[in-house]
Amino acid sequence: MHSFGHRANAVATFAVTILAAMCFAASFSDNFNSATPTASVKILNINWFQKEANGNDEVSMTLNISADLSSLFTWNTKQVFVFVAAEYETAQNALNQVSLWDGIIPAKEHAKFLIHTTNKYRFIDQGSNLKGKDFNLTMHWHIMPKTGKMFADKIVMTGYRLPEQYR
Amino acid sequence: MDWQGQKRAEMLMQVLLVASAVAAFLAGYVLADFQLMLLVYAGGVVLTALITVPDWPFFNRNPLKWLDAADAERHPRPQVSAGATAGGKKKSGKNK
Repeated sequence: MHSFGHRANAVATFAVTILAAMCFAASFSDNFNSATPTASVKILNINWFQKEANGNDEVSMTLNISADLSSLFTWNTKQVFVFVAAEYETAQNALNQVSLWDGIIPAKEHAKFLIHTTNKYRFIDQGSNLKGKDFNLTMHWHIMPKTGKMFADKIVMTGYRLPEQYR
Repeated sequence: MDWQGQKRAEMLMQVLLVASAVAAFLAGYVLADFQLMLLVYAGGVVLTALITVPDWPFFNRNPLKWLDAADAERHPRPQVSAGATAGGKKKSGKNK
């Protein structure tokens, strides 16, 4: 600590190192958050269900997506990215996941919501497997932190079924 | 700054920075405000820099005792022999 510059450098580097430790501690504190999210998706209407020119099935539907994700937010949460995916099995693929809707929740106040919408992204199969298909609608979320580790989880909702015939 | 002062400055820096960090983290965690943690810590860093970096008088309370000029004449520097590199500098006055 011989000179002004030497001491200034020491303060700066030690301060930044401790800041890194604080960020680690803040991220670690997220592990103590016990989250109790709820979600439900209702298919209000199958708008249309067709086979495309290239042979792939496509379906358009109107959904009510409601959830309460406010318990996911901590002091270290920047935003929550949430999306709803249709998941089903075909002979070709053990698991198909098609994202139908997503959104960004910027704050706890906006985390309890009800969205009435058609599917934001097209529900197109790899092939022609959707007639009478049973599928799950799963709400996934990514809790994006201000610093540190990102947590991801989901709620699986079962019991949905597509029509037997095109309409 | 004398040697004791340097030691004191370094010790003060470490204590103040860690204390600022602990206070900032507790404040932020309890009040669930990440930005508050950063602000409290930034304030603590500035305070630490103000206390430990400049050459304040209280860091100079154990000044070094240099030899008087008269004493130096009575104990002249040894002559360096030709070809040999000059040895270490004479650290006169380092009274520990």
